[in-house]
Amino acid sequence: MFEELSQHILDIAMNSLSANAKKVQISILESRKRDWLILHVRDDGRGMNAATLKRVLGSRWSSKKGRRKPIGLGLALLRQTSEMCDGNFHVRSAPGRGTSVTASMRLSHIDRPPLGDLSATILALCATDKKMDVRLNYRTDEKRFSFDTQELVTKGEVIL
Amino acid sequence: MNLEQLKQLKEKAQKQIALREGNKKYRVVISMGTSGIAAGAREVMKTMLDEIEKQGLDDVEVRVTGEHGLENIEPVVQVEEAGGEKTTYAEIDIEKAKKIVSEHLQKGRKVDNLAVGREKKKSE
Repeated sequence: MFEELSQHILDIAMNSLSANAKKVQISILESRKRDWLILHVRDDGRGMNAATLKRVLGSRWSSKKGRRKPIGLGLALLRQTSEMCDGNFHVRSAPGRGTSVTASMRLSHIDRPPLGDLSATILALCATDKKMDVRLNYRTDEKRFSFDTQELVTKGEVIL
Repeated sequence: MNLEQLKQLKEKAQKQIALREGNKKYRVVISMGTSGIAAGAREVMKTMLDEIEKQGLDDVEVRVTGEHGLENIEPVVQVEEAGGEKTTYAEIDIEKAKKIVSEHLQKGRKVDNLAVGREKKKSE
């Protein structure tokens, strides 16, 4: 359903926004040497209790037309992608304690979606109605990139 | 993603944050829930941002929201005018997004064949 991992990231971070998060931290670790890719999204939103978590993880994508409740569907989708690519998927959440989502996958797996347009994802998160600080850490074997909306606002200039 | 794209990202994000200041004539609201993203809402948003910049329209603000409850007609783009009038555009793709910018946002002419329904009061 999602063709790019960056779409998954946007979807998960939009959940953070719905959970009234003030801060969302996105980390991407990509290692060719170790042959893995790990996505990690952590927020300080309202969090979920065990029953809600079970429900959102249990939802299955259906192509059936008609009304459905898409809430939480994104987590199930990411789990599907991660497991399909020999990875692990893990969510930690508790009411008032925020939510943390970790999805790993084998970098070289033939079904692994490309990371895609990560900058469009970040731009979309910068354009939300609510004030949510967005941080990104992207690391590969050779490169490292970080982005923080707070930094852009307070320092008022582009720093790389 | 290369370094150049990332540099551009910082510049673009900054512009976008700066554009939030002040009251704009038009406010474009794009729904970015799961079904919206799957239908291409993110690409629509990017196209609109690019077109708005290309045409130098500085009286337009682009915002992203969660699910509108209109998941069958995503991507959904709403144009809100300073006077309070709202137009809802449905099933928008890249070409239609460009058209909304060049007609509605630039010339002030609604694109009637892309718009859906009439302004409705929320039945909540």
